[in-house]
Amino acid sequence: MKTWQELAMATAVGLVLGGAALAEGIYTPNLAYRTGPFAATGTPIMDGQKDYMALLNARDGGIGGVAINFEECETGYSTEKGVECYERTKADAVVTQPWSTGITLQVLPKTNVDKIPILAPGYGFSPMSDGAVFQWAFNPPASYWDGASMILNEISGGDPASLKGKKIVLLHLDHPFGKEPIPLLETMAKEYGFDLVLVPVGLKEMQNQSAQWLQIRRERPDFVIMWGWGAMNAAAINEAVKTKYPMDQFVGVWWAGHDADLKQVGEAGKGYRSISWSMPQPDAPIMADLKQYVYDKGNSTAEDPDSVFYQRGLVISMMLAEGIRTAQQHFDVGEITPEQLRWGLENLDISDERLAELGMTGMVPPFKTSCDNHTGHSGGWMLEWDGTRFVQSSDLLQADASFIRPLEVKAAEEYAAENQPWPINEDCK
Amino acid sequence: MEILNKIFIAPFADMVAAPDFLMQVLWEGLVSGVLYALIALGFVLIYRSSRIFNFAQGIMVVFAALTLVGLHEMGVPAWISVALTLAVMFGLAVTIERVVLRPLVGQPDLILFMATIGITLFLIGLGEIVFGGANKVMITSELGIPTGDLVLEPFGGLLILQHIDITAVIVAALLVIALLLFLNRTRMGRAIRALGDDHQAALSVGISLQTVWVLVWFIAGIIALVTGIAWGSRAGVSFALEVIAYKALPVLMLGGLESITGAIIGGLMIGMLEKMFEIYWGGPLLGGNTESWFAYVLALVVLLFRPQGLFGEKIIERV
Repeated sequence: MKTWQELAMATAVGLVLGGAALAEGIYTPNLAYRTGPFAATGTPIMDGQKDYMALLNARDGGIGGVAINFEECETGYSTEKGVECYERTKADAVVTQPWSTGITLQVLPKTNVDKIPILAPGYGFSPMSDGAVFQWAFNPPASYWDGASMILNEISGGDPASLKGKKIVLLHLDHPFGKEPIPLLETMAKEYGFDLVLVPVGLKEMQNQSAQWLQIRRERPDFVIMWGWGAMNAAAINEAVKTKYPMDQFVGVWWAGHDADLKQVGEAGKGYRSISWSMPQPDAPIMADLKQYVYDKGNSTAEDPDSVFYQRGLVISMMLAEGIRTAQQHFDVGEITPEQLRWGLENLDISDERLAELGMTGMVPPFKTSCDNHTGHSGGWMLEWDGTRFVQSSDLLQADASFIRPLEVKAAEEYAAENQPWPINEDCK
Repeated sequence: MEILNKIFIAPFADMVAAPDFLMQVLWEGLVSGVLYALIALGFVLIYRSSRIFNFAQGIMVVFAALTLVGLHEMGVPAWISVALTLAVMFGLAVTIERVVLRPLVGQPDLILFMATIGITLFLIGLGEIVFGGANKVMITSELGIPTGDLVLEPFGGLLILQHIDITAVIVAALLVIALLLFLNRTRMGRAIRALGDDHQAALSVGISLQTVWVLVWFIAGIIALVTGIAWGSRAGVSFALEVIAYKALPVLMLGGLESITGAIIGGLMIGMLEKMFEIYWGGPLLGGNTESWFAYVLALVVLLFRPQGLFGEKIIERV
């Protein structure tokens, strides 16, 4: 009996000490997915995020002298597990990184109450850009609507009016993420007179897309835009090769531009393009620092540090780190609160000069956030598969802000109206 | 009127207007159906011999494919990797029988089903530790599987048959024939069938439960490897392959859990009908993605009239 009591006491002490250890530093949980059907695309990004924070801790002792407590909570890309992870981590967290549009939509109303900023770089709900309505949500540096607009600009040669009479297929995952560009593309189709055909791919059908590509063959579209993730992308590219669809008419969103997916088809995928707000820079000074402080110490699980997704993971953690640093400097503190980080993320200024200081020149276009602009709308580059890797194939492209902004404001107002009572930040108006 | 046209006239007019496209749809359906049937066979074999619904069949496909590709990445020649993978699957079968199934002999079916869920979780964890989560390229050409295509022009149209799909259909057909011969013509095959027919009677005439269980789990492992190669060559080898196994559930509902013929016919029926429905009715009428549910609805309709499935045995409980 005594032994059991001692064991219980030791466990209790351990838990208390463990809890104390957990509370040390700035706690930035990541709702990661290294398991399940989306693990292949999630893992390199999560590796990049983790390695950047490990670098800051090893090289600089954290941010502003405070260590970063970066911890992953595994969701398997399941919305239910994601919400569980959010609930489990929110008590000590200064931020939540939900990592799926489905999870983002679920936790969005909760963060108003819990007062924790959501950081969803390049994903989530596009109208989150409207900071007056979505005070706690941030999706820098570009939203899905930005991505769709940039793709249309590129395939139309800069003149979307030239798409009149053309047929465009949106091959998308039948999931909140995949449906996200539909409102914008439908509005643009009406405005510019092109025919938009939606071809959904079910989660269980990701690897068996012959029906979708038969439909594409029958429709004979001028372009196929892919809003895919996980195993869907590799299967779609395989099917495109199989059905002999011209690769130069096939363009994906930034999550459909993973090196490992294209390696499945190699040379046959030459000409496939993906819009991207990040660009791998193998020779960037930060890569040398990562080698010295992280890889050589055996603290990384990254398989291909030069890949698009891994380096995007680095950029994502950089944005969070810059938000923390901005908040620390403004409030003159080390340990920050979620509310202070919200201010930091709202006042990001990722300029060319700052990118050079960080050793990350060219890895992301410069951008700024503000009270009413939680996205930054950095623009992006078109990356093209050359048979072995992705290379830059365009200058910096910009989304059509005059088209997107009114839609964002309208959708944000509708969201707030449907979710009353919804707090509005009148200072931003 | 428009809707009646979309249901009863337009699809058939499309089929007549573009017979080459109809042939392509049927071919793609046949290929999918053959692969569904293969996965379903793995379930049926284990269920017939032990009344266990093997939830781990899907992850066995992933595990076999990952082992094959992983060994090759380590520098092992392709066909030796196949042999070693088969050895790993045999080791897995022995381990499962010794560690999981043997201690649970005589327990209710539900307990054994839960045990296979445990095996699934274990294999997911082990697979991720050993092979990582990255999407790997299947070693199709290294195995000598042709990767080009055969382009035909029936009715002046276009029909593309991938060599890899033709190979998958032929290999699956050979595997099924070999399996049927094994079950019907060999002593061990008859022992498996005897266990499926009457457990107690089979044991009383000296059939070894342990040996049969190892054997059926090993055969399920071989099927998993073939399935993994076929599906992996389409979209790479990753844990997403596990999802494909769920496609076998409506096949089993349709064909019957104990019937090998049911698995084959059910797989082919679902593969071809869901493809036809999606292209000619689902897309135009319902916006597509009907393959996610069509097979289940078809199976439910069959169950309404034949609760044991098309080829399942009628269960008569004597009270």
